[in-house]
Amino acid sequence: MAIEKIFKDDASEEKGERARMASFVGAIAITDLVKTTLGPKGMDKILQSTGRGHGVTVTNDGATILKSLHIDNPAAKVLIDISKVQDDEVGDGTTSVVVLAGELLREAEKLVAAKIHPMTIISGYRMAAECARNALLQRVVDNKENAEKFKSDLMKIARTTLSSKILSQDKEHFAQLAVDAVMRLKGSTNLEAIQIIKKPGGSLMDSFLDEGFILDKKIGLGQPKRIENAKILVANTAMDTDKVKIYGARVRVDSMSKVAEIEGAEKEKMREKVQKIIAHGINCFVNRQLIYNFPEELFADAGVLAIEHADFDGIERLALVTGGEIASTFDNPESVKIGHCKLIEEIMIGEDKLIHFSGVEMGQACTIVLRGASHHVLDEAERSLHDALCVLSQTVNDTRVLLGGGWPEMVMAKEVDELARKTPGKKSHAIEAFSRALVAIPTIIADNAGLDSADLVAQLRAAHHKEGCNAGIDVISGSVGDMAELGISESFKVKQAVLLSATEAAEMILRVDEIITCAPRQREDRM
Amino acid sequence: MAAVTAAQPRSSKTESYVDNKRKEDIRQANINAARSVADAVRTSLGPKGMDKMISTASGEVIITNDGATILNKMEVLQPAAKMLVELSKSQDAAAGDGTTTVVVIAGALLKQCLSLLSHGIHPTVISDSLHKASTKAVDVLTAMAVPLELSDRESLIKSASTSLNSKVVSQYSTLLAPLAVDSVLSVVDPAKPDMVDLRDIKIVKRLGGTVDDTQLIKGLVFDKKASHAAGGPTRMENAKIAVIQFQISPPKTDIEQSIVVSDYTQMDRILKEERNYILGMIKKIKATGCNVLLIQKSILRDAVTDLSLHYLAKAKIMVIKDVERDDIEFITKTLNCLPIANIEHFRAEKLGHADLVEEVSIGDAKIVKVTGIKDMGRTTTVLVRGSNQLVIDEAERSLHDALCVVRCLVSKRFLIAGGGAPEIELSRQLGAWSKVLHGMEGYCVRSFAEALEVIPYTLAENAGLNPIAIVTELRNRHAQGEINAGINVRKGQITNILEENVVQPLLVSTSAITLATECVRMILKIDDIVNVR
Repeated sequence: MAIEKIFKDDASEEKGERARMASFVGAIAITDLVKTTLGPKGMDKILQSTGRGHGVTVTNDGATILKSLHIDNPAAKVLIDISKVQDDEVGDGTTSVVVLAGELLREAEKLVAAKIHPMTIISGYRMAAECARNALLQRVVDNKENAEKFKSDLMKIARTTLSSKILSQDKEHFAQLAVDAVMRLKGSTNLEAIQIIKKPGGSLMDSFLDEGFILDKKIGLGQPKRIENAKILVANTAMDTDKVKIYGARVRVDSMSKVAEIEGAEKEKMREKVQKIIAHGINCFVNRQLIYNFPEELFADAGVLAIEHADFDGIERLALVTGGEIASTFDNPESVKIGHCKLIEEIMIGEDKLIHFSGVEMGQACTIVLRGASHHVLDEAERSLHDALCVLSQTVNDTRVLLGGGWPEMVMAKEVDELARKTPGKKSHAIEAFSRALVAIPTIIADNAGLDSADLVAQLRAAHHKEGCNAGIDVISGSVGDMAELGISESFKVKQAVLLSATEAAEMILRVDEIITCAPRQREDRM
Repeated sequence: MAAVTAAQPRSSKTESYVDNKRKEDIRQANINAARSVADAVRTSLGPKGMDKMISTASGEVIITNDGATILNKMEVLQPAAKMLVELSKSQDAAAGDGTTTVVVIAGALLKQCLSLLSHGIHPTVISDSLHKASTKAVDVLTAMAVPLELSDRESLIKSASTSLNSKVVSQYSTLLAPLAVDSVLSVVDPAKPDMVDLRDIKIVKRLGGTVDDTQLIKGLVFDKKASHAAGGPTRMENAKIAVIQFQISPPKTDIEQSIVVSDYTQMDRILKEERNYILGMIKKIKATGCNVLLIQKSILRDAVTDLSLHYLAKAKIMVIKDVERDDIEFITKTLNCLPIANIEHFRAEKLGHADLVEEVSIGDAKIVKVTGIKDMGRTTTVLVRGSNQLVIDEAERSLHDALCVVRCLVSKRFLIAGGGAPEIELSRQLGAWSKVLHGMEGYCVRSFAEALEVIPYTLAENAGLNPIAIVTELRNRHAQGEINAGINVRKGQITNILEENVVQPLLVSTSAITLATECVRMILKIDDIVNVR
C-alpha cells in the first residue's frame, strides 16, 4: 500500500537519528565559529556584509557575530537565541553560553552514539546543573555590606569583562569609567541615563566620563553660548506657521497688499508662538524640529538659547535627565514641566562643537565620550563598554561575586564529578559528560591563548582537589595562578545565567527527534 | 617566563578539533591584501615621491600625492585592505598630514608580522609586543622633540614647508607655507590657545592665474559676483553690510494663495501695489544706512526679483545674492554682525562695517572682496588660484595638509626632525631595547624596529638614491650619536636634517606610529571572515 503524500511539495521531514545528527552538526558548527573569540586572548572576526556597501565590522562580541549570521539550521538558531537572551538579560557571557551549550551537545552526541536514551541524558544534565549551581552558591562572595570592598569587586569585574575586548590595553581606564558611571546610577539598571557619544580622533585613552549631558548640536546664531541656571523647555513642535492642514486649502485675494497682509499675519503667528514659549520664563529652548530663521532671530533677541533639530533620542534623554517634559503646546505655561540645569555651554571635542549641560536635575545621568582611531574601533569599544556597563549594573543589584579565569567551571566540574560517583545507573554517564563539558571552557581559553591546554587543565584539576583553592588560568603568564590575588572576578548572575540557559538549550535540542521543514511560502510574482 | 610556554605550538592534545589551516590562510590573505594597498601608495612618499592619477567611475580625473585621497578613491573591497584605507583617514583626522607614512609603516609592520607568524609565535603575543614597542616609540620620539613657541614664526613656516615639499605644489612652498602659518595663527583664540577650528579658515578656489597668485585675504571673499542687474554699484567704500534671511520679492504666504483679478483696472493696481511693497522694504533698508546687502538663498521663493534689484540699484545698495545658509555663520562671525530674518527687525546695530566692498575680476570670473572689516571675528579666507582644475584641487589638498601641520603644532608645541631621522633613531633605540627584553617580546620588538627602517628606505628609493647605502650610512651616523642625521633628498646625501630646516610636528610622527600599530594589531587578531547580512 503506497503512502499518500502527507506534506506539501518542497516540505521535508527528517526523522530520528538523522534529525538528531542535523541538530548536533548545526549547533557544533556554531560553537566552533565563536569559540575562538573566548577569553582574554580570543581572536576577532571580520563580519563582511553581503548587503549594499559591503560594510565591515570587526568584533569580538559573541552576540554581535551570531546575530548577523545567515543560519538555516534550526538547532543553530536555538543557540543564537540563547545568546541574544543572555545579551538582553545580563549583557555579557554571550559567547560562553553558546560554547557551553555546544560542548554539552558534543558530549551528548557521544552518549547517544553509545545508545543512551536522550531522556536519560537530559535528566542527568538536570541533576548536574542543579549540583553545579549549588556548588557555585556555596562559594560566592558577597561584599554588599562593605562599600569599599564592593567597589573593588566592581572594578575587578569590569577589568575581567574588558580584558577580553578591544579595550584590554586600557582596561584600567575604562573599568574606572564604567564603575563610576554605574555607581552614579545608584542601583537602577536604567542604562538609558548613560549616554555614549562616539567621536573619531584621538586615542582610546582620551575617552572620558562627563557628568551631565552632551548634545551633538549647534546653538543658533547670535545667541548666548553660555547660560547659568538654565531653565530648559524641551519641545517637539513645528516652528513655521501653523498651517491649515487640509488638502487644497487656499486663500483667494484680489490684491497684492492682501497677500502681504496674510504673510504678515503668518509672521505674527510665529511671533506669538515664540512669545508664548518665552513667556514660560525659560532661557533655553530645545526643539526636535527645525527652528527657522525668523523665530531663531526672535529667540536671539530675547537672549534665549535655541537648539533646533535635536534628534528624537536626544530630546527624550534630555527631558529625562533635566527633569522636564516634552511639550508641544504652549498655552498653559503652568502645566508644562520645565527642565533645569546649572550650566549650558559649548565645548569642543576633537574637531566638533557640542553643547554640554552640566549640573542636571537627575544626578544619575552621565555621558561617556569615546575617542578612538576609527569607526571600527569606536563601534567595538562601544559594544565592549556596553557589556561592562550591563554586567556592572546587574552586579550592583545582585552583589554576589565569583572568581574568574575558569575557576567557577573547575569548581562546578569537581562537584559534578562527585555527584557522578554517587549516582547509580546510566545517568552517571551523563553527569560525567556534563563535567567534561564544563572543563572544556578553561580548555578553550587556554587554547586560544596558544597555551598547552591539556597540561594546564590537568594542573588546574589537581589544584582544585584541595579544598578552598583559588586556582584558575592566568593567561598572561601562561600558568595556573591564584585568581583572588590576580583580581579576576566575575558576576555570579552572569555565570548562573550561562549555566542554566546553556543546559536548557542543550536539553531542548536533545529532545528533538524529528525536523519538519515547511515548504517556503510562495512569493507572488510581482514582476 | 610567559613567552616560553606561549611559544609551544597549539597541541592537538585537546579533544576539540581545531581547523588551523583555514585560520592561517585567512590571516595570510588579510595581511597580503593590506600589504598590497600599502605598496600602491609607497612610491608617493617623500619630496621626490611620484603622483598618482586616478580616473574615477564618473570619468573625473584626479592627480594627487596625498595618501588619504588616493586610498579613498581606490574603492577596495577586501575587508583588511579597507581597514588600511580607514587608517589613513584616521591619520588625516588626527594630524592631517603623514597619511602616506602611516600606511607605509603599517605595511612594513605586517610584513614583519608575517615572518613572526611563520615562526609559530601566537598573534596575541605579537600584538601585545607591538603595543609595548609603540608606547616606547612614542616616549623616544617625545624625548627627541624640540619645544616650540608660537611666536617662532620661522619654525612654523619650516614645518609647513616640509609638508608642502612632497606635494605637486612644492615649488610654491615658499609662498604657501607662510600663508598657512599666518592663517592658522590669525584664528587662534587667545582664550583657548590649544584649539584651532579649521572651519574658521575658508578656502575659495578660483580658476585662472597660477598658484603664485594665491593669497591670504584679511576679510571675506565671495565666490560670486555682485548683482549687475540694472547697473547696481559694484564698489562700496565705508560699507554697512546687512546679512538678511528674508526675501525682497512680492509677498508669498505659506498657505497656497491666488490673486483673483476680475477686471483690467485691478491688474494695474496689483502691479502698482507690488512695486510699492518692494519700494517700502527698500526704503526701510536704506533708512538704516545699509549699503551692502547679502541675501540668503531661499528655496521657497525668489530671493530677489528683477524689480527689487532695480530699486536696490537705484538706492545705491550693492547686492550679493544666493548666499548659502551654511555660510551664514562664517559670514556673521567674520563681519561681527547678526543675521536679520525680518524686515521689521532691520536695525542699524545689526549691521557689519567694512572699509571696502568691491568686485574684482580675476581671470575670467569675478569675486567680491570685503576688506577692512571693523571688529573682525577670528576668521580668515584664502583665495587659491591655479591654471587648471586639477592643480587647484591638489593645491587645496596640499594647503589643507599644511594647515593641519600648523594646527598640530598649535595643539602640541613640539617639533621633530624630518627626512627619516626620527624613524632611524627609533629603530636604533628600540633595537637596543629589544636586547634587554626576554623571550618572544624581545624578538617581536626587534621586528618592529626593523619595520621602521622602511621610511628612510622608501625615501631614498623614491629619490633615486641607493637605499641600502643610504640606510646603512644613516644607521652608522645615528650609532655615533647624531640623532638628527637624516636624508637630504635635494643633495642626495645624509646631513643634519634639523639644520636643513626639514622639520615636522611631533604629533604627526607619534600618531602615525600609534595608529599604524593599532591597525596592525587589529588585523592580527582577526582569524575569520564571516559573511553576514
